[in-house]
Amino acid sequence: MRWFWYLVREAYTNLRTNRMTTVVAIVTTAFTLACVGIFVLSYVNLRNAANWLQEDIKIIIYLDDTMSRDEVQTLQERLKTDRLVAALRYISKEEALGEFRAQFPTDFHLLEGLGDNPLPASFVVTPAPDFRSPEAVARWAERVGSIAGVAKIDYNQEWIDALAAVIRYLELTAIGIGAILSAAAVTIIGNTIRLALFARREEVEILQLVGATSAFIRIPYLLEGAVLGGGGSALALGMLKMGFEVFRHQIGSVGRFHGVDELVSFFPLSVSAAFIAVGMGLGVVGSMISLLRVGERRR
Amino acid sequence: MFSPEAIIQLIHVSKSYDRRAALSDVTLEIAKGEFVLLMGASGAGKSTLLRLLIGEERPDQGQIFVHGRNVGRLKQAEVPYLRRKIGTVFQDFRLLPNKTVFENVSLPLIVQRASMADIRRKVIEALRAVGVEHKKDQPPNSLSAGERQRVCIARAIVNGPVVLLADEPTGNLDPERTAEIIELFKLINARGTTVVVATHDPHVMTLANRRALTLMQGTVVQGPG
Repeated sequence: MRWFWYLVREAYTNLRTNRMTTVVAIVTTAFTLACVGIFVLSYVNLRNAANWLQEDIKIIIYLDDTMSRDEVQTLQERLKTDRLVAALRYISKEEALGEFRAQFPTDFHLLEGLGDNPLPASFVVTPAPDFRSPEAVARWAERVGSIAGVAKIDYNQEWIDALAAVIRYLELTAIGIGAILSAAAVTIIGNTIRLALFARREEVEILQLVGATSAFIRIPYLLEGAVLGGGGSALALGMLKMGFEVFRHQIGSVGRFHGVDELVSFFPLSVSAAFIAVGMGLGVVGSMISLLRVGERRR
Repeated sequence: MFSPEAIIQLIHVSKSYDRRAALSDVTLEIAKGEFVLLMGASGAGKSTLLRLLIGEERPDQGQIFVHGRNVGRLKQAEVPYLRRKIGTVFQDFRLLPNKTVFENVSLPLIVQRASMADIRRKVIEALRAVGVEHKKDQPPNSLSAGERQRVCIARAIVNGPVVLLADEPTGNLDPERTAEIIELFKLINARGTTVVVATHDPHVMTLANRRALTLMQGTVVQGPG
């Protein structure tokens, strides 16, 4: 096990010896990853908000007045077994009239002149969570719309499309910004490792001469990269958490946003752990790039 | 043509840097257990030859065999395992200043993942063999040049190499220390290790009084012996 402790000690010694470079690398990486974190956090919260909003999506199936009670019953059974349907509510013509009267008591006289109840019976469908995408809803509406007795299907297509577009845009932006800033983090850590390698080139040469494998030489630097990346991402996470709490406190104190502070949330523990793991991974990648030429044989 | 006893063989080996020949059609053989001096002025090709033997360079032409392995054809991943059979000593010692003498000498054993008990035993044995056991806890920079070279030799022999290569090992030493180091090489050789010492110093040849191969402008002008 001495060899293992040797590798760990080498990584630690290197970090300690180049204290200033280490601190600068961790802080720079932290700021870079914090920028990524801001986007990811915004994306996660907006996505949550979008999910809450999407839960309110309702599809209304208006029925022909000519449909018999049995036909309505058959259609109801069919809809109940449909995978897209999470919840189903039947509103008879009488219930529709009652609801109209309750919602628009002053405008009720408008319907009186029309004689018979002009409002159609309908089904109100709440789509299942997996089928709330605009494409799924549109496909389903087209299919159900062709069933005999269905007069019209109503849902807010534009609103759904706009929401999906915003989420897609945020996703793409988060991926783009994340990729660019991750590359920056890799470069920062890679350069730090390159400096460490340069400072310790004599030691690397000696290790090669005494029969150290490339892996043995590289491991301390990979560990160092992981520590820099992990340290940077942990610090970024701390900065984000502080910023998040300040933001939540501020928004909670503004009257018109009252309640919003309860809706926004920080990364759960699993995502925080993943964030640090990604930081460590970026550090290892940065080290690997710097170590590519180590152990190469001269021609 | 070549003896089965040979531990080092070079067959028509050439090596150039930027079209300047460092070694030209060198053929030589060193037997197992032999002590050979590689003589020649600076730039004669001594260091190039040693670098080729440890797989740090590949020959442009020819074949090199060390301990039965064709060094020129070794994959990069195999080179460390060849080097574990070869001890190397340099004029500039190449010791790590931030580590103690003990830690410097233990490096070849650590990279081979030896146990702590083995490391302790072998390092102490090697330091005792070269006469600097009492300096084991000191940093190399606190030692004299002769002592540092002894530490370097201890590091080279600690894992029992079959070949010991020394590149100008006495270049930084006074005549008295030079004689001590050559005596040390003779002792190591007497225990069965093949020793190759590259030097430009005729005094070393006199002290060693062993077979000498002379290189001049990349060719062997005396030998292969």
